[in-house]
Amino acid sequence: MSDSRESLTKVEISFTVNGERKTVRAHPMERLLDILRQQFQLTGTKEGCGEGECGSCAVLMDGILVNSCLVPVLQAAGSNVVTIEGLAAGETLHVLQEAFLECGGAQCGICTPGMILAAVHLLNGTPKPTMEEIREGLSGNLCRCTGYSQIVEAVERAVHPRTTA
Amino acid sequence: MRSNPADYEMIAPGSLYAIVSLLAKEPGVWVPIAGGTDVMVQYAAGKLPARKLVSIWNLPELRRIEVTAEEIRIGAGCTYTDLRRHEIVGSEFPLLRSAARWTGGVANQNRGTIGGNIVNASPAADSLPALLVYDSELILVSIRGERRLPYASFHTGYKKTLLATDELLQAVCLPRRFSGYFSHARKVGARNAQAISKVCIAALGHLGDGVVEDVRIALGSVAPVPLRLTETEKIVRGKAIDSELLLLARNAVADKIQSIDDIRSTARYRAAVAGNLVVEFLNRLNSEQPGPERGEVKDVLARWNRSSVDEAMQAILPCCGSKAWAQGMVARRPLADEAALVAASDETWRSRTQSDWMEAFHSHPRIGESRPSSEEPQSPPAQSVEWSAQEQRDLADAEAAVKLALADANREYERRFNRIFIVCATGKSAPEILEILRRRLNNDAETELHEAAEQQRQITEIRLRKWLQG
Repeated sequence: MSDSRESLTKVEISFTVNGERKTVRAHPMERLLDILRQQFQLTGTKEGCGEGECGSCAVLMDGILVNSCLVPVLQAAGSNVVTIEGLAAGETLHVLQEAFLECGGAQCGICTPGMILAAVHLLNGTPKPTMEEIREGLSGNLCRCTGYSQIVEAVERAVHPRTTA
Repeated sequence: MRSNPADYEMIAPGSLYAIVSLLAKEPGVWVPIAGGTDVMVQYAAGKLPARKLVSIWNLPELRRIEVTAEEIRIGAGCTYTDLRRHEIVGSEFPLLRSAARWTGGVANQNRGTIGGNIVNASPAADSLPALLVYDSELILVSIRGERRLPYASFHTGYKKTLLATDELLQAVCLPRRFSGYFSHARKVGARNAQAISKVCIAALGHLGDGVVEDVRIALGSVAPVPLRLTETEKIVRGKAIDSELLLLARNAVADKIQSIDDIRSTARYRAAVAGNLVVEFLNRLNSEQPGPERGEVKDVLARWNRSSVDEAMQAILPCCGSKAWAQGMVARRPLADEAALVAASDETWRSRTQSDWMEAFHSHPRIGESRPSSEEPQSPPAQSVEWSAQEQRDLADAEAAVKLALADANREYERRFNRIFIVCATGKSAPEILEILRRRLNNDAETELHEAAEQQRQITEIRLRKWLQG
């Protein structure tokens, strides 16, 4: 893609990713998913189906959960994007990341970043969700390993940390 | 085949005026894109014919919900999440709220818009049958001005609409005159969330003097456009709902639908389900017949639907002593009627864990005793103790020998299964219960656990019905 078309349609787009201000030159219809993975090397965001069905590419955009495969990067201009890489504070994992580790909420790992971000989004709006609400909050995220029980348990654990074994 | 982003142009002018000016300048060239949940899927598949896109995402003029005394005016750019969160949508347009809840998962609800759903004109869209039965009107805007037209006339064929090439859908308006109607929505699909419907129904109705005064029924996924069943409505209106009428209605549905075979289902399945959904709606409508007792039932449930999470938990917990069950029930609010309440309870109960079941079991007194079995610091609610006494009423008159035998068998049961014996005692005599207890002592652990859970389900159902009586 070295022809003149390239320079014709590329635009400069700025937004914040995990607290850092970023500017890219990109075609406006490039998917936010590809920009995150290829331009910023934030490969924690996964591509599953590429058509908004599986939730593997979910990120937070201005605090709301979105499938980044369905976001043309132009629509991310000026927004604040958080990916799985932006959750931990230095070496300290986010409480949901800890809970997923503890409960075995990850198998092959492809759905995990999206699952955790969907859970973060849920708990931001509903700090004490019921089981029903947890299931609904994660219903747009598919786990091909079918490890749903541990995933739901992990979210529950993050909500009600156990003091005893 | 994936599309090449270099082939596409996209701009975001940021105001409604700039956008309609652009559409006027080059009609049919620019395709609006809101949350991308349809356009980007076509793009990913290499099937997006338009090469020039104009972003209308998050445009303030399109993302408002305005409420007047007569109507609610929903901006085309409002997302399903916006709809789910809006108080008036929730209280007066439950069919639209249900559809918003069923469309996609959370991420797609955060981006998908009601306007996109209307303009994309998929016959399978969940929100469109609701818009039909609520008599919605659309506001279309262009540089030429605004025009308002009935939504029912908007779809002219498969994915064809009355939208002119220079027009943008601005808002959908729903008149506020259906809040007194009984409403019924159901989606039949492979999965609750994130699955496109095989068939869906949205229906409204009310009865008066034992006959159907008004009825409005629409189906999705059974024709090239969302389908209002006007013929069926005509047949039903003014009549009492009986088996003969149900048969007539079912036949009228079969005549109207033009379902197809596709990847999600077959025409034959869709036709059968469409008939079933209409009959189910009419049956529910019929059992909604207003009467003094029904009125009270609705009051109890309406109050509960509105109360805070904590209050709702406390109110329903006496019906079944599992907190997880109570949480699940509270999360399913609002529930429309007794049937919905019982169905929600059954589903919630079956999906609980074994430890949740145990918690419910141990909130009961041992059969033949009046105090609960566990030594837990939290005693069961007074209402639960009172209901237990009613349920075991027939045991009080039992002969001393039977009572002794029951106490013995109880102890044996507790030794064998490590929990108290649960039986739905309502209407059962002491000798009957003793017989059941002795039979169940022969069960293996797994069978017995499920038998006990089924008994608890029955107890819960009886208690829920008592609870509704106030």
